[in-house]
Amino acid sequence: MLIKIIVFICGAVVMSFEILGSRVLAPNFGNSVFVWGSLISTFLAGLSAGYYWGGKIADLNPSIRKLGLIIIVPGLLLVAFPLYGTAVSDFVFTKDPGIRLGPLLASIILFFVPSVFLGAVSPYTTKLTICSLHTSGRTIGTLYALSTFGSIVGTLLTSFYLITIAGVKTLIMAQGILLLIVSIPLLFMKLACRQVDSA
Amino acid sequence: MLKIIIAVLSFLIMPLDNALGAEKIIYQKDSLYQHIVVLEDPAKRERVYYSNKREGIQGGIYTDAPEKLLFEYAGIAFVSLTFLDREPKDVLFIGLGSGSMPQYFNRYYPEANIDIVELDPEIVDIAKRYFYFKESRNMKIHTADGRVFIKRTPKRYDMIFLDAYQGGDIPFHLTTIEFFKEVKGRLKEGGVIVSNILSQFRNRFFDSMVATYDKAFPHLYIFKGRKSNNFIFIATKSSVMKGKEEIYQRARKIQVSRKMDIDLQGISWTCEYCDEYRTDAKVLTDDFAPVNLYRHMKVYD
Repeated sequence: MLIKIIVFICGAVVMSFEILGSRVLAPNFGNSVFVWGSLISTFLAGLSAGYYWGGKIADLNPSIRKLGLIIIVPGLLLVAFPLYGTAVSDFVFTKDPGIRLGPLLASIILFFVPSVFLGAVSPYTTKLTICSLHTSGRTIGTLYALSTFGSIVGTLLTSFYLITIAGVKTLIMAQGILLLIVSIPLLFMKLACRQVDSA
Repeated sequence: MLKIIIAVLSFLIMPLDNALGAEKIIYQKDSLYQHIVVLEDPAKRERVYYSNKREGIQGGIYTDAPEKLLFEYAGIAFVSLTFLDREPKDVLFIGLGSGSMPQYFNRYYPEANIDIVELDPEIVDIAKRYFYFKESRNMKIHTADGRVFIKRTPKRYDMIFLDAYQGGDIPFHLTTIEFFKEVKGRLKEGGVIVSNILSQFRNRFFDSMVATYDKAFPHLYIFKGRKSNNFIFIATKSSVMKGKEEIYQRARKIQVSRKMDIDLQGISWTCEYCDEYRTDAKVLTDDFAPVNLYRHMKVYD
């Protein structure tokens, strides 16, 4: 159950972060199609790299503790975001690499690493929860659904509501705190189910 | 049975048909940012375009007199000239629309240098093809985001007109105090900012706009449209406050010397000071600017 909640939360944070990301970039790079293109492709690149890498490390002695470590990284990055977010965006702006490269570079620096780690959560949790090959399809399906459902909730909640109650930086920081809250207990937990037929 | 269905259907379609009246679509196009529809109403001799029907019209002209201003707010915006103590030399427009405002400016002040910033290249194309907009040596369009242009330009302006909309909303990054400070930094001494605020009176967005301009500039003057939900905000860089009489006299002088076909004096007399609108609304910042949500939130006293 905890794993399901985690998958849901990570899905929600990814999309909420992406929506808020557009607000982080707009003061320097505007609202052009290049900004949205950069932002979306950076998140997708991060996620796909995360899926690949997460799947790979999931085969090397997976443990719920390591899952905790995977989630702590974006948690810390998001909590610290107010310290470096504007600074990085301003720095790229002053270097002026062009109307396309500017927002792309800023997106990559700010959003790529957290989305890699958040992406890695999906295959890693899948590996942890697959107890039998007979039900693996259902397990995978459930986790995919939860992750995407989380993304929907994150998107709607952020764009319809959260933006009116707090500033962008506060919201990003709050999401980092949320990730830390769910990941720290994992460091002290043991795996409930071993891969019985992983061979 | 079929007859009944047809009768019901035509009944449903009828009001729609009436509402559209004699208007006909003469051009439409999907741009990177919007679906642009150019409409013409031969009876009213109006040609307009919109990108989102519900959010209203973005620009337009009289087909038989394209040099005139079709919209009330555009005329009101020119009252800003009375707040400048000299002749305008360098003028910036953010948001092209149909181009009628810069065109009008250029007609009465042919010696002024006009820069126009427009994000959507299709709008530039449409302004030229359907709204008789012409670039010239001293009237140039820059295809860019308004805020990025403001941040990058080395030029300083006497007047800056802010009229950039996406659908019915001003893009949030053009509503924040950080942006207004950047704009202020691009004004010459004594320069003037003119902003078209399309808003129901009142909602949270309107109140926040007043609060944000009020905080960013020494003085804010407000002109209210009578026929529309447009407000023209005029903010000055100078700390000297203008009295109504002074504005009126200046309007008279401009009217006499430039022979504008709008009633500048009449408009100048409707000036309101922002004290009358001041509330404890939140100032919008780059961190906090829920523009589109605030527009739909009513204010209760």
